[in-house]
Amino acid sequence: MSLIHLEGVSKVYRVGDQKIRALDEINLRIEEGEFVAIIGSSGSGKSTLMHLLGCLDTPTTGRMNICGNELSSASGDQLARVRNREIGFVFQAFNLLPKLDVVSNIELPLIYSGIPADKRKARAKQTAIDVGLGDRLSNRPTQLSGGQCQRVAIARALVNNPRILFGDEPTGNLDSATGQMILGMFDSLHATGKTIVLVTHDSAIAARSKRVIEIKDGRIMREYNP
Amino acid sequence: MNLWVAITIGLSEIAAHKFRTFLSMLGIVLGVSSLIATMALTYGIEVGTRKFMQQVGGLEFVSIPSKEPSNKQYEFANLSPGRTLRDAEAIKKSATFISHVSPELAVNTVVAVDGGGNPERRMVRGVYPDHFVIGMHIIGKGRFLTPLDIERGTRCVIIGQLTATQLWPDSPPDSAVGKTLLIDSKPFRVVGVLSLYEMEEQSRARKAGSRGIKAMTGRRDPFRSKNEAVLIPFSTMFQEFQSGLYPLDSMDSVKLDSLTVRVGDLQYFRPALDQVRALLDITHRGVDNYDLETREEWFGRVESSVRASRLSGGLISGISLIVGGIGIMNIMLASISERIREIGIRLAVGARGRDIFIQILIESMLVSLIGGLFGIAGSLGLLEILKAISPTENVPILSIESIFLSLGFAVVAGLLSGVYPALKASRLDPITALRYE
Repeated sequence: MSLIHLEGVSKVYRVGDQKIRALDEINLRIEEGEFVAIIGSSGSGKSTLMHLLGCLDTPTTGRMNICGNELSSASGDQLARVRNREIGFVFQAFNLLPKLDVVSNIELPLIYSGIPADKRKARAKQTAIDVGLGDRLSNRPTQLSGGQCQRVAIARALVNNPRILFGDEPTGNLDSATGQMILGMFDSLHATGKTIVLVTHDSAIAARSKRVIEIKDGRIMREYNP
Repeated sequence: MNLWVAITIGLSEIAAHKFRTFLSMLGIVLGVSSLIATMALTYGIEVGTRKFMQQVGGLEFVSIPSKEPSNKQYEFANLSPGRTLRDAEAIKKSATFISHVSPELAVNTVVAVDGGGNPERRMVRGVYPDHFVIGMHIIGKGRFLTPLDIERGTRCVIIGQLTATQLWPDSPPDSAVGKTLLIDSKPFRVVGVLSLYEMEEQSRARKAGSRGIKAMTGRRDPFRSKNEAVLIPFSTMFQEFQSGLYPLDSMDSVKLDSLTVRVGDLQYFRPALDQVRALLDITHRGVDNYDLETREEWFGRVESSVRASRLSGGLISGISLIVGGIGIMNIMLASISERIREIGIRLAVGARGRDIFIQILIESMLVSLIGGLFGIAGSLGLLEILKAISPTENVPILSIESIFLSLGFAVVAGLLSGVYPALKASRLDPITALRYE
């Protein structure tokens, strides 16, 4: 069974009385341990696809199965559970909580898994050390550089030990050197067996993956192995 | 998500916006403090009123005034001997539900001290030992009348504190026992001095320093007549002051000035009244020239006015609590629209709508709870002020129940006003929330 399995998935938005077909009959399988890049220009539907894969949204039609969960018409609680346990999300804008320090930010998913406080702190701290932030544990995001922020975000994505790691333009807000370093982290995570899905418009970044899926006008245009 | 986490998040959110939160909880603060203060105030009035009702004899007290017989009985009304000692004796012997009977003769005359003091015109009453219970007297020093005093017609007198101080202004009231005073120039020995009866306010004023015992401004003092009492045995009264007036009168047939009884057990209030009525119909030979005056109506009025003041006070404070709740709702709505992104992030990492809902609700409850605690502190200060300027003679009494009740109301107000913002926050779409700038 594939880790991610999309069959005839469409997503239709209504804007006024106009229907916008953001995704059109997508069929996609991603296996455990793959490193996939989804590329496409803006408006191609790649973000919509990403949101579906990230369980932030449900498809209008079609079947979607992620990590064995049938999510075509899942309730909000079911989606939240999958987001919490099976998926780690790294955003372009980091999306850290500015009022919380590094450890508390990383701890966040564990709170919603109902893990007791002492275990939570210990795991968050260990994950922060793993991504190289051992000396920044009690800093606030505002006191960190962009690269450090993204490492906090990666740590937060990893702390609940999910099976899939999503990156939505994870290097978009970083200078190229820092971006390279963050991509290096994705590489090494892939090497340890994590399934990684990156969304980007940069074909150079996509080239680091093992499989590229190109989206245009809500359809998969082509697929290739770089 | 566990509750403790929600509480910590809520507290840190409150701490991050101290002033704003304080302003929004001000409504709750004022609501709670005014609720507690009103409850203390009305409770004080209630306790004061109850005490007063007890002091004037309670509901058990029934007086039997005489009245004009009705027109159709007018022609044979003279057959009735009127209110006499026989009535009292009949009630005492046969009305089993009546515990005490007090017939009274009264004479308005001059009370003085031989060779000095201030002569005073006083209502002198001739009473039975039962009057001690019926009049709710407390003996300060000495003794009250005994059956022996009645039997022998002794010349002894029991006086109230005010009478004592007026007759012997230079010595403490209690030292009057054993002294002699003149009632209409007839010497009587003081055998007892009653306690000082006073309302809360007077007792506070007295303890605060002004030593003298003064009559309060006349008509407002319900205890004045008790403090000015001059009580002598019934038989002595008859022999000394009334026997010569109507030659045919005996002590048994002299018309009483007052007749009061006390019902032994309120459970048998109606039967007791029926017993008395049956007996008096016999002794008065069927003439309805007497009445039974109970205090039910009066006490009922007092009770309902206490209830009314409690209700209106509670209502006003309740309204201010609602206003406080609206303040909290307002701030919670402002707070969540400020935190849409944060909520989006929490949703993205796996928070369920329910988690967000609980978090906002807890926050709103915390605001009201903290406001309530401030309110309790505020009410303590408010009560001190009220005690100092209290317009009634009833000191506000703070009860633990009122504190918990008001705090409970505050938390409920916070809870209710948190529901809508919490619902709104929990229904946010994660994608929209994440994109929100």
